[in-house]
Amino acid sequence: MSEPLLSVENLKTQFFTEDGTVRAVDGISFDVHEGEIVGLVGESGAGKSVATSSLLRLVESPGEIVGGEITFKGRTLFGLEEDANGELRPRDDMLSEEEMRREIRGREIAIIFQDPMESLNPVFTVGGQLREFIELNRDLSEKEAKREAIDMLREVGIPAPETRYDEYPHQFSGGMRQRVLIAMALACQPDLIIADEPTTALDVTVEGQILEMVKELQTKYDTSFIWVTHDMSVVAEICDRVNVMYLGEIIEHATVDDLFYDTKHPYTRALLDSMPRPDETVHELNPIEGVMPEAIDPPAGCRFHSRCPDAREVCREVHPEPRDLADEGEPTHRAACVKYDAFDVGYDESRPIEGDAAGGFGAGLTRTGGEE
Amino acid sequence: MSLLRYTLWRLAQAIPVLIGIVTITFFLANQIPGDPVEIMLGATPAQEQVEAIRARYGLDRPIHVRYLTYLSGVATGDLGLSIYYDRPVLEMILLRLPVTLLLMLSAFAFAIVTAIPLGVISAKRRNEPADHVSRIVSLIGVSTPSFWIGLVLIIVFAFHLGWFPARGLILPWADPADVRGAATRLEVIRQSAHHLFLPMISLGTLQMAQITRIERSSMVDSLQGEYVTLARAYGVPESTIVRKHAFQVAQLPVITIIGLGLSTALGGAVLTETVFEIQGMGRLIITAINNQDYELIMGTTLVFGFVYVIGVIITDVTYSYLDPRVTYGDD
Repeated sequence: MSEPLLSVENLKTQFFTEDGTVRAVDGISFDVHEGEIVGLVGESGAGKSVATSSLLRLVESPGEIVGGEITFKGRTLFGLEEDANGELRPRDDMLSEEEMRREIRGREIAIIFQDPMESLNPVFTVGGQLREFIELNRDLSEKEAKREAIDMLREVGIPAPETRYDEYPHQFSGGMRQRVLIAMALACQPDLIIADEPTTALDVTVEGQILEMVKELQTKYDTSFIWVTHDMSVVAEICDRVNVMYLGEIIEHATVDDLFYDTKHPYTRALLDSMPRPDETVHELNPIEGVMPEAIDPPAGCRFHSRCPDAREVCREVHPEPRDLADEGEPTHRAACVKYDAFDVGYDESRPIEGDAAGGFGAGLTRTGGEE
Repeated sequence: MSLLRYTLWRLAQAIPVLIGIVTITFFLANQIPGDPVEIMLGATPAQEQVEAIRARYGLDRPIHVRYLTYLSGVATGDLGLSIYYDRPVLEMILLRLPVTLLLMLSAFAFAIVTAIPLGVISAKRRNEPADHVSRIVSLIGVSTPSFWIGLVLIIVFAFHLGWFPARGLILPWADPADVRGAATRLEVIRQSAHHLFLPMISLGTLQMAQITRIERSSMVDSLQGEYVTLARAYGVPESTIVRKHAFQVAQLPVITIIGLGLSTALGGAVLTETVFEIQGMGRLIITAINNQDYELIMGTTLVFGFVYVIGVIITDVTYSYLDPRVTYGDD
């Protein structure tokens, strides 16, 4: 395969709060090739949004990228090295803040945010905002940028773009505003667009239209996407390859077909099982037990063991790094679960975990019985 | 509705408010115990004298007749005759109002020019030393009475240092012949500014402090807005984000506080004029009340009410100009 467009190695972003260090992104690695849509999936709080803002180095205080390497088209967006005293410092080839702003943000990597209601500035016209970003990132004159903005509004399916150009965000519906944000991203002609749950705030019919439109435009402009979502049906609809995140880590990576038809990680399995289906009633829904633990104090061993139906004693002790489980010649399929032979840490011999997740209900019954 | 029509409509709406002010003030003033004629002539005046004066100022007629006469007078721009000064009320107001307006406008100009940059810097450098300084200054500003500030300014800058005059005010458009030591227009303006400085600071400090606080919190909010994150993600320079993207949204509450500040500044002007012995509206209204000068009380109150209403209208119109989400009341 060719050089990836974007390559992320062992990225770590932490938040230094009064309560302790939150390891929001804890050593994730993935890459994005030209022209593909790569999914980043997980529950709320898994670290998806922190991961994407890390790519643009837009993590705000008290958050900080503390380790790893981000390479985009051969340029180092982030990278550390040890100096003579063993202290970490930015590598010489790492882009400066000013270079990031001028040459990367908007121009090479654009972003679409989750909430189209809040993302547009309420006191400026939609067209004005669009034009400003186009002017800035494509070095066009005001007039050319305006023409480009109107063309792009038409492209994303906004009727009468010449009139709508001069209207304010509150005059647009949610779906229309999200189309504006997509137009904004595409109009800057970046090589990569990060879409951070762009359809989550929209209703389902609008979501469908927007996904359809993005697929069309993606083919037309051959832009790569990182598509952040918690919705497996969106993943199935739009992604080529998928990374599943849990508590700051990527625990499974596969092509979209492999992920759905040859699911490896119990968490991914649980995510898929929890999807509502038309042939099931609400009672038949199968949500994931428990809530995700805090990233401030992640469980030892496998981070999912406290909620995992397959958890055994060994899962409490061994922290698995993702390994490729694909057969020879098949596309990469990495998962971080010790139940697979590739890990060989004695899962089969280990006893199931006694505790809340596995035997809580039964244990309660026994205790009641003893008191009588 | 266009902005112009909206403004005219708001002005028309002010008329009932002003009629209300006139009515309430009229009956309140007439309920104050005591008698202006008695104040004027002493405790044991001659009966004929009293009657002559009552007739001259129309005080011998029943109260409802006086009320209606006064209302129709106001409608034609006649505010009656001041008992104390024995001059038309309108004349007195036209003499004093420019002084107070000059004082208030310069105080607000001072407040806005200092408070907005201070608030923005404070928000931008949140929890850094610059922010602490600005917050302490504004906290002291909102909690210190303006007359006290005035007295301290006089003691320090007028008596001890002798940099500024302690009393009086000169209008910049006054005739050079009437101003001592000024031969040219430029001299008059210089003297005017010199006299204006301390009262301006004294009256403007509270406004400055209030505007700074609102500007800061509003900018803090706006700088955390998703649209600011979006602008950053598209490579907009930080200075443009502060100046344009965050700033304009943040000004809406600031406009409101400036408009409301107009009313507190009117009260502050009364105190400031007393401390600095300035012959403005504030001292006029006090003279009117002390002497139970009915027509003058009503005239000055009406003007204060009018200034306040205009302040509110300016606030609303600016607001709807700045915020496209505010419609002109037609939906």
